[in-house]
Amino acid sequence: MSEKTKAVNEDEKRQRFKTLRTVISFVITAVCLLILCFAAMNIGSLKVSAGELFGGLFSGNLSDNAATVIDLRFPRIIISMVAGASIAVSGTLFQAVLKNPLADPGIIGISGGASLAAVLITAFLPSMFFLMPIAACCGGILAFVLVYTLSWKGGLSPLRIILVGVAVSAVFSGLSSAFNSMNGGNMQGVAAIVNGNITMKTWDDVYMLLPYAGIGLAASLFVTGGCNILSLEDKTARGLGVNVSRLRIVISVIAAALVSVSTAVAGVIGFIGLIVPHIGRILVGSDHKKLIPFSALFGALVFLCADTIGRTIAAPYEVSASIIMNIAGGPFFILLLRRSKKYV
Amino acid sequence: MSDIQPKKKRPAMEVRGVTFAYGKNEVLRDISLKITEGKITTVIGANGCGKSTLFSLMTKNLYPKSGQIFLRSRNINNLDLKEFAQKAAIVHQYNTVCGDITVEQLVSFGRTPHKKMMSASTEEDERCIEWAMEVTDITKYRHREVSRLSGGQKQRVWIAVALAQNTKILLLDEPTTYLDVRYQLDILRLIRRLNKEFGITIIMVLHDINQSLYYSDEIIAMKDGKTIAQGRPEEVITTELVKTVYGVDLNIRQIDGKPFVIPV
Repeated sequence: MSEKTKAVNEDEKRQRFKTLRTVISFVITAVCLLILCFAAMNIGSLKVSAGELFGGLFSGNLSDNAATVIDLRFPRIIISMVAGASIAVSGTLFQAVLKNPLADPGIIGISGGASLAAVLITAFLPSMFFLMPIAACCGGILAFVLVYTLSWKGGLSPLRIILVGVAVSAVFSGLSSAFNSMNGGNMQGVAAIVNGNITMKTWDDVYMLLPYAGIGLAASLFVTGGCNILSLEDKTARGLGVNVSRLRIVISVIAAALVSVSTAVAGVIGFIGLIVPHIGRILVGSDHKKLIPFSALFGALVFLCADTIGRTIAAPYEVSASIIMNIAGGPFFILLLRRSKKYV
Repeated sequence: MSDIQPKKKRPAMEVRGVTFAYGKNEVLRDISLKITEGKITTVIGANGCGKSTLFSLMTKNLYPKSGQIFLRSRNINNLDLKEFAQKAAIVHQYNTVCGDITVEQLVSFGRTPHKKMMSASTEEDERCIEWAMEVTDITKYRHREVSRLSGGQKQRVWIAVALAQNTKILLLDEPTTYLDVRYQLDILRLIRRLNKEFGITIIMVLHDINQSLYYSDEIIAMKDGKTIAQGRPEEVITTELVKTVYGVDLNIRQIDGKPFVIPV
C-alpha cells in the first residue's frame, strides 16, 4: 500500500514539475521577447531611448529620430514577430496533421508554393498587390495538395513526404528565381520575396500581414483539441465520433494559410516550423493546448532574434533572417534525423 | 422500463444480408446475424475468415457493398460518427499513444462524442471519467504518462477510454492480443464484469477458442465470409464445427458444464 502511495506521489510530483516548467518557459520566453524588442528598436545607427519613444508616442509629438525609428524599425520588428509566430504555429499544425515530426512548411514545399504565387502577383499583376495574401494562400494550399497526393502510396511515410517536399520545393523556388531573373533580377518586391529580405518593409506590409495572420493564429487556438485527437490512431479517433479526414483538411488549410501569408510578406523562411515545435515539446510537453500558444511566442522570439542578428553581425551590411535560419536550422535538422531511428 | 422483464428484446445490433468485397475479392457473402442485448457475443473463426472485416463494417470503418447493419434498429449508414459513438464504444486492436499524455487526459478523450467543440467539461464528464478509471482499476495511475505503463495496463486504459463514452454497447477487436496470459485473463474478467455488473452489451472478436467459449454467452462462428453457427457455446460447439471452422480434429471436454476444446 505504502509503495503504491509512493508511486502515486511520484507521478504527481512529476506532473507538478512539468507544470512549473511550462509556466517558467512561457514567462522566460515572454520576457526575452520583450527585451529583444527593445534591443531591436535601438540597434542601428539611430539611438532612441525608451522614454523618448514612448513619451513621444503618447504625447503625439515625436522627435525626428523617434519618428524614423518608428517608420523604419517598427514594421520590421512587428513583421518578424508575427511571421515567426505564424510559421512556427504552422509547423506545429503540419506535424500534427501528418503525424510527422520532421514536417516543416519550408522543407515540404508549402512556402515555395506560396512564394511563387506571391512572386507572380508582384511581377505580373502589381496593381493586384492587395490580393497577395489570398494568392499566396492558394499557392500554399496547392503545394500541400500536390505534396500530399504525390507522397500517398497506400499511406504516408514520413520520409517520403520530406523527399517529395524537397523536390516540389526545389521546383517552386527555381520558378520563383527564374521569374526574378526574367524581371532583371532587380525588381525589388520580387527579389525581396525570393531572398526572404525584410529590410524595406513598411507599415503597409504590416497592415497586409496582420489581419490574415491574426485570423489564422486565432483559428489555430480552436483546433488544439483536434490536434490532440489526431495523435491517436485514425480508427480510434473515428471511434470517438471524430471525422478525421475533415479535421485534417481544416487544420491543413489553417496551417497552409498561416505560412503562406507570412511568406507573401517575409519570404521563404525555413526551419522555424521545425525547430520551434521541437523545443516546445521538450519545454511544455505535447499537449497542443499549451504547445500551440508556446510555439507562437517562441516562434516570434526566434525570428526576431534571427533578424536582429542578421542586421548586426556584419553592419552596415545585412544578412537576411532566412539565411541565418538556414545556417542554424540545417544542423538542427540533421541532429533530429540522426536521433530518430524511427524515421530513417 | 422493460429492461428487467423484456417481452421480446430487439437486438442491440443486427447485420442483414451484408456482402463486402475488396476489389473483386469477396470477403463477406450475404451475412446475417443478431447481437442480443445485454449479452457477451464473440465472433470466432480462422485467420482470413472475414471476422475483422465484419468488425470494421460494424464499426463504420468500412461500408457494405449491399445489405444493412442496424444499431438498435437504426441503419448505421444514417448515423454520423458522433451519433454512433454516443451509442456504441469501440476498442481497436492496435493503438498507439505519442507524447507525454497522462492516463487521465487520455481517458477524458472518451468524452469527445458528448462534447461540443471548445466546451468545458461538465460534471457528467467528470463522473464518467472517474467511473471509467475506477472500474478498470487505473485510478492509481491517473497522473502517470501512458507511455510509461505496461502492455496490460495500457489495454485497460484503452478500455477506460471507451467506457468513458458511457455507452450500453462495447465492441472489442481482439482485446487480448499482444498480452501475456495473466493480462489476457485480467482483461477478459474485466469485460465479463462490465457485462454482469453494468449490463453493457459486449461484441468482440477473439482468437483463442477456449477463452471465447468460457467467457461468452453467445458464439458466432465464421468461415469463408459466412456465419456457419450462432448460439450458446454449449449448444453450438461440436467436434464437427471445430473441424469446419479451424480445419483440425480436436476433442471437446466438459469442465464445470462448459465445453473446452483440447488444443493439441
